[in-house]
Formats: sequence, structure tokens, C-alpha cells
Amino acid sequence: MLAYRNETEHSYSSEKLYGTSVAPVSRRTSSTAIPFRRRRETGRDETLLIERLKAGDQEAFETIFNLYSPKLYGVAKRILGEVADTEEVIQDVFWTVYRKAKSFRGNSRLSTWLHRLTINAALGKIRREKKHSKEVEYEEYLPKFQDDGHHLVRPVVDWSDTLDEKYAKQEMQGLLAQALDQLKPDDKSVVVLSDLEGMSDKEIAATIGLTVSAVKTRLHRARLFLRGQLAVHMGYSAA
Amino acid sequence: MAKRTAATKKLTNKTCRQISELVFDYLNENLIPATKRDFEQHLSICPDCVSFLNTYKKTVAVTSSVNVEQLPPNVRENILAFLRKRIRRIGAILCFVATFLGA
Repeated sequence: MLAYRNETEHSYSSEKLYGTSVAPVSRRTSSTAIPFRRRRETGRDETLLIERLKAGDQEAFETIFNLYSPKLYGVAKRILGEVADTEEVIQDVFWTVYRKAKSFRGNSRLSTWLHRLTINAALGKIRREKKHSKEVEYEEYLPKFQDDGHHLVRPVVDWSDTLDEKYAKQEMQGLLAQALDQLKPDDKSVVVLSDLEGMSDKEIAATIGLTVSAVKTRLHRARLFLRGQLAVHMGYSAA
Repeated sequence: MAKRTAATKKLTNKTCRQISELVFDYLNENLIPATKRDFEQHLSICPDCVSFLNTYKKTVAVTSSVNVEQLPPNVRENILAFLRKRIRRIGAILCFVATFLGA
């Protein structure tokens, strides 16, 4: 398990990414997608809300709860699986927000802090209660190669067009939920923030206290595992 | 599938293993031009890696389509009730301490 940052806020140095910076695939977005003027206004509103929260304003607290609890619930539920556990985690997160609002210095966005609290609380719960018992060997589902670097099992079958034909939408949701649940909790949290929440690698790094490079490595490995799981379900080799 | 010939191998600077490691950055368009060129050159002669890329892309696409669970209204109300109760209690304690210290 990772040693994530504590509940107080930290500042992060930006990491230099190699290559060109372009819009990522899938529904991943970043704050830069928000028009500058709207972002400035949103930022101002958020700053006011935080100041009111720091002063103990309960209305500001409930506004923050109403704004963020649906999203944070979705993240925690996907990581934990159980409604009762998720409810407990969200309670703890917002209670921490109320108690520790003064420690929020505004170096990161409020949503980053809230997501960090949520991920830490969810993973902490799994660790304490040893809820993740389904240990699956990743190796079985990762691509394999010969010594000369070529694919071990050939031909590699392209099932990308037939996946939707084989499974109805509902079935696919169940299949993926099952595959996601077999990921290690730390990896699952990265997949949830990236592919389900649409966060950029940099935002995820800031949220869970990893380097951008570590986020990419985890995400890539998790995707390879999920790809292997889908391949096996389709009746092909994961390799 | 036929075994690759030495001539085919010479056409690409990357192995399939290397391609599988570069897929993530290729899809995020984060490869430097020279690496991207090598990547695409390999794809042009390797149907296995084309299949690998397509299935990897499909995996990301279907994962992104997983429904995010909605916060049920009763759960929302439970959480709010819990938080309000705690805030009231801490308020009452602070009030008591202030009164005690004031006296």
C-alpha cells in the first residue's frame, strides 16, 4: 500500500512532462479546459466559500457538501463497493473538512483536497478492515513477450469491434465492475480518478501524492490488466 | 502466422514489447516526434501490435463508460443529519467551555 499524504494540504511542484502537451484521450479533462474568465470567477467563489467555512459558517459548509458530495460518493463507492462503507467514509471526509478547514491554505484546488481526503479515507478503511481479499495475480492478465521482444502468443486477436456485439450494455457494466474490483485498491483509485472521473495525470498526482510518472505507470499496468480480463472473457489469450 | 524474417525486423526500431510500453503515451500524444515515428512505423508492419493497440484503446473506452454511482437521497440525508448533529455538539461544548472560562 502507498503512504499517502496526510489530511492537511500540501503544495506540489509541477513536474516536467516530456514530449508535447495535448488533449488526452477518453473523457479525461483538466482545469485548463475551463475558459479563463469562468475559471477566475469559480476560483473567487471557491475562495469566498473557504473563507466562510474557516470562520465556522455552517451554511458555507453545507454548500460545499452539496457541491462535492455526489462526486466524492461516486469515487468512494467505486473503490469500496459497499453503500454503508461509502456513507461512513463520506461522513468522515466532511467532518474532517469542517474540523480542518483552517489547515487548507489554498495551494491546491478545493476539489483536489477533497478528493485526497476521500481516497485516503477509502484506502485507509480497506487497509484497516482488510476488505480487499480477492488477490488476483496481475501477471496472468498482462501481455507476454518472447526474448526477442515479439508477442508470445500470435496472432494477437483484435476483439475491439466484437466486444459490444457480444455483451449488452448492462452485461458490460457488470463485467467491468467485476474486473475493476480485482485491481489492487491503490491501482483502482488511480483508474477511478482517471478513466471514470476524467482527471489528468497531473491532477491525480497532486491528489494522491504520487509523481506523474508513478501515476502513469500504475494506470498503464491497471489498463493492461483490465484489457487482459476482457480478452479472457472474450475467449482469447490475455497475452 | 509466419515467422518474422530478419528483413522485417530491420524495418522497425522498436520491438512489440517496447510498443506495449509506449501505448499509454502514444494515446495521450505525449511521445516525442522521433519515438512517435518509430511507433507508427512498427504498427505499419505489425498486425499484432495494431490488434494490441485497438484492444487497449477499447479497454480505456469501455472503462470510461462505467456508470458512476449516484448519491442516494436517503444516504445524503443520513450524512447531513450526522454532520449537523456533530457540529451542534461541538458548538455546545465550545459554548460550555467559554462560559466556564468566563465564570
